[in-house]
Amino acid sequence: MRARAIALLSGGLDSTLALALVKGQGIEVKAINFYTGFCITETQRRKGGRADGSIPRNEALRAAADLDVDVECVDISGSGYLDMLVHPKYGYGANANPCVDCRVFMMSRAREIMEREGAQFVFTGEVLGQRPKSQRRDTLRIIERDSGLDGRLLRPLSARLLAPTVPEREGLVDRQRLESISGRSRQRQLELARELGLTDWPQPAGGCCYLTDESFARKFFDILDAREASSGERRLEQDDVVLLSTGRHFRLSPRVKLTVGRTEAENALLEHYAVGRARLEAKGVPGPVGLVEGEGEATWEERQSAARIVARYGKGRDRSEVVVTWREGEMVEEYVVAPEQDEALLEALRI
Amino acid sequence: MITDTLPSPDLTIDTSGRFCPFPIVEAAKAVRTMGEGSVLLVIATDPGIALDMPMWCQATRHEHLATLREGSTFRSYVRKRGR
Repeated sequence: MRARAIALLSGGLDSTLALALVKGQGIEVKAINFYTGFCITETQRRKGGRADGSIPRNEALRAAADLDVDVECVDISGSGYLDMLVHPKYGYGANANPCVDCRVFMMSRAREIMEREGAQFVFTGEVLGQRPKSQRRDTLRIIERDSGLDGRLLRPLSARLLAPTVPEREGLVDRQRLESISGRSRQRQLELARELGLTDWPQPAGGCCYLTDESFARKFFDILDAREASSGERRLEQDDVVLLSTGRHFRLSPRVKLTVGRTEAENALLEHYAVGRARLEAKGVPGPVGLVEGEGEATWEERQSAARIVARYGKGRDRSEVVVTWREGEMVEEYVVAPEQDEALLEALRI
Repeated sequence: MITDTLPSPDLTIDTSGRFCPFPIVEAAKAVRTMGEGSVLLVIATDPGIALDMPMWCQATRHEHLATLREGSTFRSYVRKRGR
C-alpha cells in the first residue's frame, strides 16, 4: 500500500521544500492550507491588492499546483481559535503571537484530517532553531505531544537532527533522504531548491501574520483590556479579525474606541461592520468612514471627539467647521465640529 | 462572446462579498457534491479568484474552463474532474 501523508502548506520556501522532499519519495500527499484570518497577504487582497494595483497570489495554491498535489483550504478562524489567542497555554511571543499554541491548534486539526483521510503522518516545513519560540527542540516536541501527533509529525527539513518518527522507523519514509537543516540561514534551503528544480517561491517579507506585528498587537491587547475592564471578560470576537487590521484606531475613553478608514477599500470594509456600531461620516465633503464601538452609550464629549477626528482625516480638514453625521441604528444626528488639529492629542489617543 | 461557448452550469454558487480563500473553500465544498463532468459556476467579487481558480484546478485536477470579469464581478467555470 502506498503511504499517505498530510502536508501543512503555506506556499513559502520551507513548506514547499518539505512537500517536494516527501512527494519525491513516492508518498501520496494531500496539502492543507489553514486560514486563520490573520494572514497579511489575505488582508492585502481584501483591501484591493498592493499599492501598484497587483493582486497577491495565494502561494499555497500556487505551490500545490506547481508540485501537482491535491490541496484543501481549511478555515480554522472560528471561536475555538479566537479563544486560544486570548488564553494561550504557552504564552505570547514578542507581540500577540502565541506561536506554540497556534501550532498545537493547527496540528490537532491536521491530525483529525490525517485520520479522516487514512494518512499515516503529518509533515511541515518547520526548521529547528529558525524561530525563537515555536521552533526550538523543546517546543517542537510540545507541539507534537499536545496535538496528539506523537511520533507522527515529521519535519523533513530538520528530520536528521530529531528523533526518528514512526513513518521513518516503519520505513514509509527514507530518513537518509531527509535534511538536517537548523537555524535562520536559508543557504541550504536555496541549494535544495536548485537541486529539486524549484524556481518559484515568495520572498520572505518580514512575517506573514498580523499577530507578530507590533502595531497590530497594541490594538489586539487594547481591545482585550477594554473588554476585561468593562465586562470582566477577556474575549475576541469574529469581527475583530478584520477590524483590528483595518484603519486608524483611537481609544477615546476606557469604554469607547474609534476606527477611521485610511483608503476607499478600508472605508468599504468598515461599511460591512457598521451594524451594532455608530457610523460617522463628514457631510458634503469627501472623507473617511468612522466606526465607534464600546460598552454602553458614548458620552457627548466622546461623540464630539470622534466627530472631530473623522473630520480631521477628510477633505475638510482645513475648514473651520465640518458637519459630521452620526448614525446609530435608526438614530441620525449631525454634529458641527472643528476638525481636530491637535497632533499631540491625536497621537495620545492613537492605539 | 466567450460565454456562448461555455456549458450551462449544473450548479451555481455566489461568493460575492467573501474574500480569499472562501471562494475556493466554497467551490471545493460544492464540487464534492457534484458528479464527474458536471459544471460549477462560481460568482465572486474577490479579484484574486482570477489567479486562484486556475491554480486550484491545476492542483486538484478539475478543469478550469474560464474566469470572466463583468465589472466588479467574476464568473468562474469549473468542470469536475478531480483526482
